[in-house]
Amino acid sequence: MSLRDQAAIAGVGWAGYSKDSGVSTLTLALRAIRAALDDAGLDHAAVDGVATHGVGDSTPATVVAAALGLRDVRFIMDQVGGGGLSATAVGHAAMAVAVGQADAVVVWRALNARSEFRMGGTGRAAPALAEFQYQVPYGYLAPPQQFAMVARAYLDTGRVNEKVLGTVALTQRAYAERNPRAMMRVPITMEDYLASPWVAEPLRRLDCCLESDAAVALVVTSTARAAALRQPAVLVSGFATGAGMTLYNTGRTTLIPSPARDLAPRLYASAGIGPADVDIAELYDAFTFLVPLQLEDYGLVPAGEVGPFILDGGTGPGGRLPVNTHGGHLSEGYVHGLNHVAEAVTQLRGSAEDRQVPGAAVALVSSQPGYVGGATSALILRRAA
Amino acid sequence: MMAAMPGDRDSAWWWAGLAAHRLMLQRCVQCGTLRWPPRAMCGVCGAFDTAEVQASGRGQVASWIVTQRAFLPHLKPPYVVLLVRLADQEDLLLPGGWDGPPDASGLRIGLEVRAGFTDADAGPDLTLLRWRPAGEERP
Repeated sequence: MSLRDQAAIAGVGWAGYSKDSGVSTLTLALRAIRAALDDAGLDHAAVDGVATHGVGDSTPATVVAAALGLRDVRFIMDQVGGGGLSATAVGHAAMAVAVGQADAVVVWRALNARSEFRMGGTGRAAPALAEFQYQVPYGYLAPPQQFAMVARAYLDTGRVNEKVLGTVALTQRAYAERNPRAMMRVPITMEDYLASPWVAEPLRRLDCCLESDAAVALVVTSTARAAALRQPAVLVSGFATGAGMTLYNTGRTTLIPSPARDLAPRLYASAGIGPADVDIAELYDAFTFLVPLQLEDYGLVPAGEVGPFILDGGTGPGGRLPVNTHGGHLSEGYVHGLNHVAEAVTQLRGSAEDRQVPGAAVALVSSQPGYVGGATSALILRRAA
Repeated sequence: MMAAMPGDRDSAWWWAGLAAHRLMLQRCVQCGTLRWPPRAMCGVCGAFDTAEVQASGRGQVASWIVTQRAFLPHLKPPYVVLLVRLADQEDLLLPGGWDGPPDASGLRIGLEVRAGFTDADAGPDLTLLRWRPAGEERP
């Protein structure tokens, strides 16, 4: 039995973006879920499954299910973890639908990541991960620091440089200019990028994602049911999940390549396609350098060519492989990867308006490629024929 | 945050070793694989029988960062954090401090380093790793 094309995303909804939502993560979740159900043309009573994830910064899935008025919840996923799990939440919902465990699963991520629980550690205790005890005493705890450690190793390969990372920031801002939902729509220049202050060398502020209050929700149902609903169905064509890299020695000896390199063959096999079949890629971009790194590790661009590919506009509007067409976490906003899934669905429906990639039929959507949190995952989505 | 020694039921002995200026590792009694951080089972052969051994104290810089904004109130930027690959086994990667200039001059990936220990700055009950270039002798 294969998961391929058995489930579909039938609805998408957003709540946000802002720097201060003024409401709870429960309210954000309910608003996004309601919007996704309206988009699909489904009543909330049709929902029989719930799936989310978090790092102690959001409302539990069971609380959201109760607030939705659900009594017979047939599938509940509430996984502990961050950006490595956005695709996992969608993939597990698809699996639940494919085996008949549930008929309509809502998948969401809701967070007040600016006004309540900042990833940099303010507003809450550091996550209770055992490995944090070996890092926090050195003042080494915030995501920009942990990813700067990886970025240094990547820059040291000589395959990318600061101009490449700056071009990622500029390119995604150019997409965000065409995205009314995006938080940051003012164009930036390479001079702006290079003048941007260091957060943790070698990462500058403009290498870092936004911090935002927002929620995104999706409705996952069977492909047959989705075909009868309001929107063009977007099929969950492939899904893979894998172990990441933490301080725990698991035979990994280098920071580069990322654990996504191990995941990629299984991802493509699950969808029955190869990297050349991908029309658009929505790649997890908590930090700029993760874009070229994943282009390499998913085999989308040969390793030695990723720098010139980005510098020559290969990922930008009109490029060979448009990447993060909404502006990504760098310029649209930060919903821990689920906004990348929502953008892929929008593109595959052909409803991305000013930023629509003509003829986009197959999308690769990645979650964080396996650092810090110990997990990674990714999806292949495609437009129903 | 820094008042008490960190650690949990798996790692308290390791922190005690550091307080005695010994960098400790676990070694699987069955297959000999070294492991860090401390935990009960060997992920290679599955055995629970474990010995505690002292590391060589030698390693190579796998990466490093220079933090330029404050993330903790008692640590003033800039400061350097290393990720060191131990010479004892190539998949043992440990964070640590840098016994060198805060602008990281002289640091490079692959630099051979030697473990030192510091009881200062972090708190009365806390000893931390502080790596220095392998060639430099310190009192």
